[in-house]
Amino acid sequence: MPRSAPVILVLLTLAAATGFAGVSHLVARFTANQQARGRKLYQQGLDAGGAGRYDDAISAFRAALTCDPANSQYQLSLARALRDSNDPRRLDEAESYLIALWQRTPQDAAINLALARVAAHRASIEDATRYYHNAMYGVWNANPDFNRNRARIELIQFLLKERDSSLAESELMALAASLPHDPADHLRAAQLFAQARDNAGALAQYEEVLRLDPRNAEAAAGAGAAAFRSGNYATAVRYLRVAANGDPQDANSRELLSEAEQVLRASPFQSHISDAERNRRITAAFAQAEQRLSACAQQRGADLEAEGSPESPLASLQSRWIAIKPELARLKSPAETALPDAIMDVVFQIEQQTATSCGPPQGLDLALLLISQKREAASQ
Amino acid sequence: MSELASNAAPRPSHSSVVRLHVPRRLFSTLEGMFNEDVFFLILSVFIGIFSGLAVVCFRLAIDWMHLALLGPLPETHGWRLFAVPSLVGLLVAVLVIKVFPGIRGSGVNQTKAALYIFNGYIPFRTAIGKFICAALAIGSGQSLGPEDPSLQIGASIASALGRQLEISREKLRLMAPVGAAAGLAAAFNAPISAVLFVIEEVIGRWSAGILGSVVLSAVSSVVIVRWFLGSEPLFRIPVTTFKRPTELLAYAVLGVAGGLASVAFAKSIGYLRPRLKALPGWTQYLQPAVAGLLVGLIAFLGAPQIMGAGYDSMDQAMHGQYAWKFLAILAVLKILSSTLSFVSGSPGGMFAPTLFIGAMLGGAVGDLERIFFPHLTGSTGTYVLVGMGVLFAGFLRAPMTSVFMVLEVSGNYEIIVPVIVANTVSYLVSRSLQTIPIFDLLTRQDGLILPSLEEDREETILRVEDAMLPVPATILSAQDYVDANHHRIQDSTEPIFLVRMHPSGWNVISREQLERLFREGKGEHTLGSVLLSQFLPSLYPDLPLDTALRYVNDYPLIPVVHRADSRRLEGVVSRESVFKKYGSRRAIEVPAST
Repeated sequence: MPRSAPVILVLLTLAAATGFAGVSHLVARFTANQQARGRKLYQQGLDAGGAGRYDDAISAFRAALTCDPANSQYQLSLARALRDSNDPRRLDEAESYLIALWQRTPQDAAINLALARVAAHRASIEDATRYYHNAMYGVWNANPDFNRNRARIELIQFLLKERDSSLAESELMALAASLPHDPADHLRAAQLFAQARDNAGALAQYEEVLRLDPRNAEAAAGAGAAAFRSGNYATAVRYLRVAANGDPQDANSRELLSEAEQVLRASPFQSHISDAERNRRITAAFAQAEQRLSACAQQRGADLEAEGSPESPLASLQSRWIAIKPELARLKSPAETALPDAIMDVVFQIEQQTATSCGPPQGLDLALLLISQKREAASQ
Repeated sequence: MSELASNAAPRPSHSSVVRLHVPRRLFSTLEGMFNEDVFFLILSVFIGIFSGLAVVCFRLAIDWMHLALLGPLPETHGWRLFAVPSLVGLLVAVLVIKVFPGIRGSGVNQTKAALYIFNGYIPFRTAIGKFICAALAIGSGQSLGPEDPSLQIGASIASALGRQLEISREKLRLMAPVGAAAGLAAAFNAPISAVLFVIEEVIGRWSAGILGSVVLSAVSSVVIVRWFLGSEPLFRIPVTTFKRPTELLAYAVLGVAGGLASVAFAKSIGYLRPRLKALPGWTQYLQPAVAGLLVGLIAFLGAPQIMGAGYDSMDQAMHGQYAWKFLAILAVLKILSSTLSFVSGSPGGMFAPTLFIGAMLGGAVGDLERIFFPHLTGSTGTYVLVGMGVLFAGFLRAPMTSVFMVLEVSGNYEIIVPVIVANTVSYLVSRSLQTIPIFDLLTRQDGLILPSLEEDREETILRVEDAMLPVPATILSAQDYVDANHHRIQDSTEPIFLVRMHPSGWNVISREQLERLFREGKGEHTLGSVLLSQFLPSLYPDLPLDTALRYVNDYPLIPVVHRADSRRLEGVVSRESVFKKYGSRRAIEVPAST
């Protein structure tokens, strides 16, 4: 052993400290140089990515990362470019970058959102939901409320695309509760409700938009459509009129308005009409049903009068129509309380069967079909 | 007088005397604390620090060279791919031949030679030369890696430090491997693999002192590298899975492919290297340039991935960025380019090329297998990782290191079974087709005879049981009277008898001694009371026969006892039986070795 070990160790410590300082200086200079190059390449990558040139973006981000391997922003951008390049082989690499980042900062909402999008690309509902939730409840550096709602909206869109309506509806409810008083946000939520076939939810959101912005024709049209789909024709007519007046080019609202008005005119079940009007509507519907049945039989080449032929659904309905026709005369009797329903039942069956056999109806037939569907839904 | 008094140094006050004495006392106390072993352990930490600092600089130098010579990655120009490796190759050749002789090749063998031949001596000039020339060669695109040069730089620094500190020859010999572990750990950012490699391939034996030093130096160098360069892993590891045990067959196939590729790689180096060295001297100046030109040509023709260490390409292969055919082509081209670069004499390492070839081969085999067997669940990344270990086991013949290297790099223990299976298969295939490991082959080509650690591992050791004679028919008892024992030996013809002592232990007595005791009228004494109290040493059957050699000259018979019951005699060994066994082995070995 050397005789003056402590002296040697002191000298070695000094030498190590000097070496440390020297290498620190070198590394700092090299790193600064590399970081400057990295920033330039990163900007090139961002520009290329913004222009949709993902291959160029990926190559620039990779080069930027060779200059500054620990830069989380570069890694995140590379992962996003890999994911957005629509090359399934690159998803693995994107995911591994993101997982590495996530392991370091699991609370980072942007990383979780990026991972959620990778999972969404893979159609993995479980992973995507988990990461979207992490993003919603994670830490955002700026605009946290806006970004959280945006993440939730993305999740809902993903769930709707994957046809998972129940999860989508629960997310929609949470979204509706957290939306700020901004018509645009409520309009987006209403559209998502409509996409999820939650007409009541959609109507409520459209009404919120109209409360905040009464002249919003798009919201009026949406509210009218939602009300129409939910069988609330009076409300539908009210909003669709606003929509049609607000936007004369809105043919869809006009068409829906016409149909809704037809339903209101044709329905014998309206509460505010007289007995005479009710009987008139039943009689008109009964006659319309016979016409529809005959036209449908003709369209299909069926002879409803022929004897000995096997009984088709149309022929059966014709028989029922003929059987109940004499009862029309007794509609005026106050004792016949069940008769209107019995007659309309035949009408509804004819409209439903002919819609199935001969395609979608028009005009009064369509109105009667819609009334039948509403009755059916109400009875269920 | 007054002048004298005024010129004299001021007399220290009482307090200043105390202040001077305290450090001296402290120093003497500290010196007392440091025996050579403790000092060596502390020195290992410093070796790790200095090696780590050197490797950080080395890596910066390679990156800087790459940038300066080949340009930034996306903008590398075609002409540079040709010109740079060729021109830099010329410069490297001049430096290697004229300024830094002895820095050719990887550095592993030089470190081993320092340990076994040169008493731990590696010139510090080697570290400088290796640093400059390897940075130039690798930075200019030669198909070599930075790990082995880092290993040699670490070893050289450690050796120089040991010489400066004038430590004992025994410790000085170990300085180089300790520095080698530090250099390798820093280069790989993987301390366990580095420690194992140095123990497995350079030192070849385990002891607490060596292991402690190697571990300390490796860990401290890795800390330094992570301090300066961050702890980013070499690769971003994808999701790796191993679900069905039946898939081990698929990994075994990869092991076979890896073993064959290892043999091809080793044989091409083994064939070309001596032939190129035998060419006229002036060609040595051109060989690195020609190798660089050919490597550049391969890169220009569409495979720039083979230039340099290739870690970025391995990373991309791991994430399924290449089709299997391209992966297979890259594996073949890397074998070719690394062989050219290495045999040309360019300084640079084989670790990175080995990993590269394994990664590409693993990816190719895995993807190909999945075409035929779509139910296989292992991802491309899993096969790439396993492939790395496979080549490491097959080419470098470091089976333990190969397993731990994959685990350490991947941080995933789920794939340990596929890694072990594939690496073992590869190792066995390689061993059966290429008897001499690559590092041993290179040393033999250089005219050095270093111990082959693989051969050492495989050597069958003679044990005590191999020379053991059956339990003698007559065993005397120390508790019996001399008369009784004398009566017992009358039926025997043996000249020497074992005596079972009470309560345990063994002794020995000759027929002649027992006869004399009987004649001297000591028949009424117990044998134990008249024997010397010195007991015989006992041996166990599984001990190396070398252990018996220490005793056979002093004792005519040595008992071999059971490990669980020292009174249970398994047999005996004698000088004749031991020497006979060694003689019979030599008789068998001589024809085998000729």
